[in-house]
Amino acid sequence: MDMDGASVNGSPAGMDRKRWTYLDRILNRPGPFTDEEWVPGEPNIESLERMKILGAGGLGCEILKNLALSGFKDIHVIDMDTIDVSNLNRQFLFRQADVGRPKAEVAAQFVEKRVRGVKITPFCGKIQDKDEDYYMQFGMVICGLDSIEARRWINATLVGMVDNDDADTLKPLIDGGTEGFKGQARVILPTMTSCIECQLDMHAPRAAVPLCTLATIPRQPQHCIEWAHIIAWEEERKGNDTLDTDDPEHITWLYQKALARANEFNIPGVTYSMTQGVVKNIIPAIASTNAIVAAACCNEAFKIVTSTNPPLGFPGTNNYMMYTGDDSVYTYTFEHSKKDDCPVCGNLAKNLEVDPNTTLEDFIASLAEKPEAQLKKPTLRTEEKSLYYQSPPSLEEQTRPNLKKKLSELVSDGEQIAVSDPAFQITFKFKLVFKK
Amino acid sequence: MEEPLTETTPPILQDDEKKRKKYDRQLRLWAASGQQALEEAHVLLINSGPGVVGVETLKNLVLPGIGQFTILDSAEVTEADLGVNFFLEPDDVGKFRAERTCALLEELNPDVQGHYNTEPVEYFLTQSSDTHSLRPFTHILVTAPIVPELLADILTHCRATSKPLFYIHCVGFYSVFSVQLPSAFPIVDTHPDPTATTDLRLLTPWPALSALVEEKTRDLDSMNAHEHGHVPYVLIILHFLEVWKQTHDGQVPSNYREKSDFKELVRKGMRINNPEGGEENFEEAIAAVLKSLNPSTPSSAVKEVFDAEECKNLTHDSPHFWVIAHAVSDFYKAHNALPLPGSIPDMKAQSADYIQLQNVYKTKAREDVAEVTLTVRELAKQHGHLAQVDEKEIEAFCKNAAHIKLVRGRPINPAFPGQKLKWGQRAKAAVSALTNPDSLILIHIAFLAFDEFCASHDADALASAPRAPGSQDSEVEFDAEKMTGIANTIIDNLINEAGTRIEEPDYSDIGARVANYVQDIVRAGGGELHNIAALTGGMVAQEVIKVVTKQYVPVDNTCVFDGVGSRTEVLRLGADVSV
Amino acid sequence: MLKIWSMKQKQQQAENAQPGKKKKVTAAQLRVQKDLSELSLGSTMRTEFPNPDDILNFTLTIEPDEGMYKGGRFHFSFAINQNFPHDPPKVKCTQKIYHPNIDMEGNICLNILREDWKPVLNLNAVIVGLQFLFLEPNASDPLNKEAAEDLKTNREGFKRNVRSSMGGGSVKGQTFERVLK
Repeated sequence: MDMDGASVNGSPAGMDRKRWTYLDRILNRPGPFTDEEWVPGEPNIESLERMKILGAGGLGCEILKNLALSGFKDIHVIDMDTIDVSNLNRQFLFRQADVGRPKAEVAAQFVEKRVRGVKITPFCGKIQDKDEDYYMQFGMVICGLDSIEARRWINATLVGMVDNDDADTLKPLIDGGTEGFKGQARVILPTMTSCIECQLDMHAPRAAVPLCTLATIPRQPQHCIEWAHIIAWEEERKGNDTLDTDDPEHITWLYQKALARANEFNIPGVTYSMTQGVVKNIIPAIASTNAIVAAACCNEAFKIVTSTNPPLGFPGTNNYMMYTGDDSVYTYTFEHSKKDDCPVCGNLAKNLEVDPNTTLEDFIASLAEKPEAQLKKPTLRTEEKSLYYQSPPSLEEQTRPNLKKKLSELVSDGEQIAVSDPAFQITFKFKLVFKK
Repeated sequence: MEEPLTETTPPILQDDEKKRKKYDRQLRLWAASGQQALEEAHVLLINSGPGVVGVETLKNLVLPGIGQFTILDSAEVTEADLGVNFFLEPDDVGKFRAERTCALLEELNPDVQGHYNTEPVEYFLTQSSDTHSLRPFTHILVTAPIVPELLADILTHCRATSKPLFYIHCVGFYSVFSVQLPSAFPIVDTHPDPTATTDLRLLTPWPALSALVEEKTRDLDSMNAHEHGHVPYVLIILHFLEVWKQTHDGQVPSNYREKSDFKELVRKGMRINNPEGGEENFEEAIAAVLKSLNPSTPSSAVKEVFDAEECKNLTHDSPHFWVIAHAVSDFYKAHNALPLPGSIPDMKAQSADYIQLQNVYKTKAREDVAEVTLTVRELAKQHGHLAQVDEKEIEAFCKNAAHIKLVRGRPINPAFPGQKLKWGQRAKAAVSALTNPDSLILIHIAFLAFDEFCASHDADALASAPRAPGSQDSEVEFDAEKMTGIANTIIDNLINEAGTRIEEPDYSDIGARVANYVQDIVRAGGGELHNIAALTGGMVAQEVIKVVTKQYVPVDNTCVFDGVGSRTEVLRLGADVSV
Repeated sequence: MLKIWSMKQKQQQAENAQPGKKKKVTAAQLRVQKDLSELSLGSTMRTEFPNPDDILNFTLTIEPDEGMYKGGRFHFSFAINQNFPHDPPKVKCTQKIYHPNIDMEGNICLNILREDWKPVLNLNAVIVGLQFLFLEPNASDPLNKEAAEDLKTNREGFKRNVRSSMGGGSVKGQTFERVLK
């Protein structure tokens, strides 16, 4: 270890501001749209330097650069991927020689070296590997994730963490995504404004072709590729190999299968590149769109932290920007409304005080008497356990023995349960707090 | 996705597997032809101010593999640069900014050649009188502030040599860029929405298609369930159109009511005595009736191309686009239809039937291309055209004929202090934008005022560099007042030029709104925020790519970004072309 | 940031829970729980949960009481991922059976399991669809082409093939699993 290294990051807040001449003008001078109560100067620098902020996903390179040059000092980054050669056309912190290395680590090292005084902590893994304790340390989360599943997960996690008595538990979530020349950026204040689950209809489901078309009447080159992918592989190779879409041998096999089938049906157009695109569900991606969307996200983060101008995302204001760049430039910035029946933020867990010695049966009976929700035929579970299911019959039978058990044997103090009842459209969530 | 009629892209990358892999995600957007165009481009960045937006733009061009770039910038790296420009290192203070940003940008992609020049712009422009120093470059980026006379020089050169130019402002939370395109900038490959491109010609089937309908629907009633449920919907519609015509004096359904009746006719043909209670192919036919029974009239964009002087009056050096456009226009006159694109959407059908139908369309498309090609060859002979027009170009034009687009580039008007800006034909539209509270035109006007302010204030006694408003803490208020005054004059002149008046309270409201934007711009003191520079650099890079590849549709011609509301607006401005 | 919190306090609804560190019921679990409570299995179907705590993975058994497949007992595996209901459930037949819409690997051609899946559909819609396949096998869009050909051209022969395959016999050289009750 180089002993001198410690002093590099050690400059106290407020010193060495010459570098931030341009930024400081914005932090030190009020503008026509800044809040009347806004205090210019030092407090804003402090907010930026104190804020521990997390970036995740494919927009990571852009996000790290933008945050570091927005004056943030304590940045964390999560990415599960290693660098692939096809990332190099846009993920500008990576070089040919870095191919195969973990993205989070390489990106963190690069930006720390380039921007003096910033601390970047990488984690190479999935966002789902981390729990609430981990996410609780951050003030804000910026995501450029490529899967809907990961987006829904981080959203539900941050919504679930909000404690109404503790301001620090509310972590604004800023989400960005791109496809070709298009993209979107949105700001979510968990439990306060429309969340990712409320906005699920903004993600079009992937178009699928009937299996029987693939099996018997293919018409398009893509049908032949899907056939090779779904049917031929299972029939011929499943026993020996699990399909790895990054293995060129596997893709080549699928390509040749698809090509042979296409020839059989006189269908033109199967190529290796198309095979890869269909099998891996490749979404076109370019540096410029990533730059636009990541910067839009970081601009909102900067405004939220410094209050130097109104950000997107406050209740009753716009929270969603769509960007379209393929036909001239068009943006649509609007307010996506919170859904009352949103399964994640529409019915938040309520505290329910219970005697841990009560049996599940008695607890269920007590739910029927609760004035605000008369749950006559409730079905209940925790994340881990099915407590009692009214139906289907086999599950009822399997969970019936739980009825005689004490709550303390089934749930732990403070654990969340979900209660559904045929009489209600929504599922209720309670946090069971044991009476002392 | 459709199978292209022919491979429109040359296989330049076939020997370079590595490149194909590296650029895979973008080749899916602009193909090898677009990539080749990028690799042939040489972009010049004339950088000034904090200089971040220009460098960020280049980053987004170097990564996808632009051929060459050159940075012209005489500034030396200051401590302040390090807090806003990612392509500088802590040790670079005092070195030439052009040199250092060039070196760090070049690291991003070994395929790209970077150059730099540290001469002041005025020396660079005048260093040789016969060969203009801008000649080597294919596309030019200029960032504000710049002395208006120099900007005017550059604009004139670009206009004269049909060289696209991008003039970029980025200050605080706002940015504006204008694109000066050549007076005729045609785009063949506009990448229209795939759902908008289906052209089946159901109202005007040609003999081969009619023969196929006859062959495949002759025994419709006696078909077994499987066959009946797999007749392609295109043939179903054509079959029932014949049935309809028999009871309607040979006329096809033409209005909504008739089309609804026709839908019912098709629906009656569907078999419903099966487990599914219907047939998918008939459902497809019914769903397609309203949108596919329209006569295919060319869009106004296509008519504009046909009516263009360049199209009507070919010369010996007319660009290929116009020769083909003329031939396609002749084709349209002769057939009252554009060449057939030749692709069909996927539809419920047996494999062989679908392929057969697909081939009927493809064959007709090829015939149409052949006819247009013949005309092109004849025209070339007639006008003494030397260069042979490539057949691939003709094919691509015919395939996209309904979606071609002509952008008429308008000259950018530099703002000279104390001079009236000429809005020309765009004055009326600009005035109506003034009173629209959602319009961002006032940000553009604030930047015009910014240019005038910079041009009339020097950073030092040497008059070597313009001074941006708000660069000194003590003068923020004073500068804002002054710049607001300039903005108000621009607004008044605009209203006068449009020959109109704006009544109260609208007029005061405009004044208040523009004063706010001015104040927020002055607040930044000419400084850039990295996020806004990065975002604008992304937008400008997208535009450069669209212009270089001649694919997709570029901004025509001014784009405003508001980083407070996170919104953009495209304004069509620019000076009239003097005849 | 401070401003956000004051807004939050203004719009606060009373008695929301304290946050816990424990894992919460996931959105997919919530939805499946809801769907299970609305399941109507009747007398011909039943479910089995290998692990009753895991409601995302179970098997469904169908015993058709009419039609050509009457007397058989058919098992389907349901695997639901955390992206449900954005993604459809993955359903497969775990036996090798002779059916025009089910292939030898157990893949099923049912529109709502693939191209026509929508998040508003529920598990009940899926099991109704599966049940329907046994009442009305569909010859026009087959996965098992031979079976479909038989059904199309020779309904009686198809019925015989169904009977023999259900008894564990072979049809055209393919041996099938015995699925009779």
